[in-house]
Amino acid sequence: MPVLDRRGFLTQAGISTAALAGGLRPGRAAHAAALRPMAFVMNSGAANVSVIDMTTRKVLRTLPTLREPSHWALPPDRSRLLVCDAGGNALFYFDPETGQEMGHRVMADPYQIGYSPDGRYFLANALRLNFVEIYRASDFHLIKRLSVGGMPSHLDFSPDSRVSFHSMQQSGTLVAIDLARAEPRWTAKIGKVPAGVLYHNGKVLCCVMGANYVAVLDPASGEIVGRIHTGIGPHNLFLTPDRKTLYVTNRVGGTLVALDPATLAVRRTYPLHASGPDDLAVAPDGKLWIALRFREQVAVLDPVSGHYDTIDVGRSPHGIFLNTMLARPGLVTAEML
Amino acid sequence: MFTPLDRIFSIIAGWIDQNAILPILYHFGWMEWEELSFDWMLICVYGVFALLVTYAICWPLEALRPIERWSSRKAVLPDIFYTVLARVGVLPIVSFLVFYQVQVWVNGFVVDHGYIPPMLETLIPPLLGHPVLTFLAYALILDCSDYWRHRLSHSFRGWYALHALHHAQRQMSFWSDDRNHLLDDLIGALWFGVVALAIGIPPLQFPLLLMFMRFVESLSHANVRLSFGWLGDRLLVSPRFHRIHHGLLAAGRVSCNYGAVFPIWDMIFGTADFSDAWPATGDRNAPEAMVSGGYLAQQWGGLTHAWGQMRAGHAKRKAARRQARPLSS
Ligand SMILES: [Zn+2]
Ligand SMILES: [Zn+2]
Repeated sequence: MPVLDRRGFLTQAGISTAALAGGLRPGRAAHAAALRPMAFVMNSGAANVSVIDMTTRKVLRTLPTLREPSHWALPPDRSRLLVCDAGGNALFYFDPETGQEMGHRVMADPYQIGYSPDGRYFLANALRLNFVEIYRASDFHLIKRLSVGGMPSHLDFSPDSRVSFHSMQQSGTLVAIDLARAEPRWTAKIGKVPAGVLYHNGKVLCCVMGANYVAVLDPASGEIVGRIHTGIGPHNLFLTPDRKTLYVTNRVGGTLVALDPATLAVRRTYPLHASGPDDLAVAPDGKLWIALRFREQVAVLDPVSGHYDTIDVGRSPHGIFLNTMLARPGLVTAEML
Repeated sequence: MFTPLDRIFSIIAGWIDQNAILPILYHFGWMEWEELSFDWMLICVYGVFALLVTYAICWPLEALRPIERWSSRKAVLPDIFYTVLARVGVLPIVSFLVFYQVQVWVNGFVVDHGYIPPMLETLIPPLLGHPVLTFLAYALILDCSDYWRHRLSHSFRGWYALHALHHAQRQMSFWSDDRNHLLDDLIGALWFGVVALAIGIPPLQFPLLLMFMRFVESLSHANVRLSFGWLGDRLLVSPRFHRIHHGLLAAGRVSCNYGAVFPIWDMIFGTADFSDAWPATGDRNAPEAMVSGGYLAQQWGGLTHAWGQMRAGHAKRKAARRQARPLSS
């Protein structure tokens, strides 16, 4: 299906096989290093995306969406940034290098989205409408729409791209979907209101927001093999690019917790003062860029000192993408920064 | 455009959410609503602010230029209760939760049948990126749809009997706007739901614009001798314009001035009355419980009145058929 493009021409949502094989377009890594570093902040309550110059920390421009932009995904060829707008039933495209609009396409209620690591599948969780959609990434052909639980929230993939994992906020389950067969493989009851999901060190981690722990599951069987107590209402988790820290945000506690990624032991807790910390991203200088839902701000936190500065954005900032991630080789997702 | 105020409201709503609402949701195992709870708190915070502003403007107006002077204001009390329920967000939030599953089911059903509800900006692409303009376009379309809902509510016996609760008030004040029967509110919500399937939901990033429209509706009920002038009365619904709709003669199945915010629909569809008149308000046919009862008495009175009216209508149609029969045979 062609994509409505605001520049006036049609583009296809295709991904070149060369890009898939190499992970990056030839010369793109070198080019990315010379980019103007920009942060893209999805303001859920303002129906727009703030583009911030990471050097001057000034908002360069504000890109319109329709109703409620929440999360993002980067295709393996990194040609554009995809931002989903569940309230507006649309998927928006932006140029991650220049911060320009690249049009949008209609999609029912995309709340969380993601590409499988091999780039073959594009998945969308419809939180409001209770389904998971599996698309062929090359042409956005809808392979299957699955109803596997109430309020599908976050998602991640196994590194071999065979299985995706989806947390079902309302059902209290984590569902593993076999992507080739487009059918659920197992459903694990893991507790009240599961949220952020991350495949990590051969295990699946899932935040249990209605409790005070992150569940550790065996990806093959869906059996819970451990629980890490991080604080009240853990919401999402992020692995730093150097793979030396795993961060967890606690929604009810309003804190950020740093874990040792190998032992999963809690290393440090950062208080964020009732600011509603949501998604975060790691800048090349090691600072954390954190969306503060209740403050209409982004915090730039120095994890060493624990101090943070703030930048004003729009209402209810939610997802955050830094285009400095383009310079990194390998897979870039919202949780594996 | 209103950034500093908006940020203060976000911080207040966020503080309440973090310190009061999230712990409650967590305690009772309702954390799946955590993301929406912040929006609900925003509705409450803006609602309280709008109530204070409305009161601060309308109360002095009613004191300075009243149309009627009342010895007792007791009849106004239930109207205050209606207003607080509706404006501080209690009614909107409760009805959202009650009808959440229905909304999910209907939207899921149409999506499964290949229809993804569009937004106005996807129907009219130049609107994308102009949210204020989009908001105004939605405001006009939704006001037009509301004009027809209101006009139809005056045309059916049973439906009007419910809407008569709004008209029954003889001491009409700026508190009277939300004085509605719950079933009438429910019909209004379904009406909006159908329109939303066709053109989507309006952008919600301008709560102050929304508050302004609600303020116009409150002011239009105020007990104040106020018109906006020849042109003003044709642009926005004024207390004079809406009072004629609440006049004793306009209560019932033939009425005028149905518009809530913009009089243009009355002008286009031939129901506008711009007379310089300040009639007494009320509905002579409404049972006394709907006029001067408390909240529950009014709601119950509305139900029985509607039931009685529907039965009377049924009997009347039956009698008409009986009369018609000998003529045709
Ligand atoms: Zn009426
Ligand atoms: Zn009225």
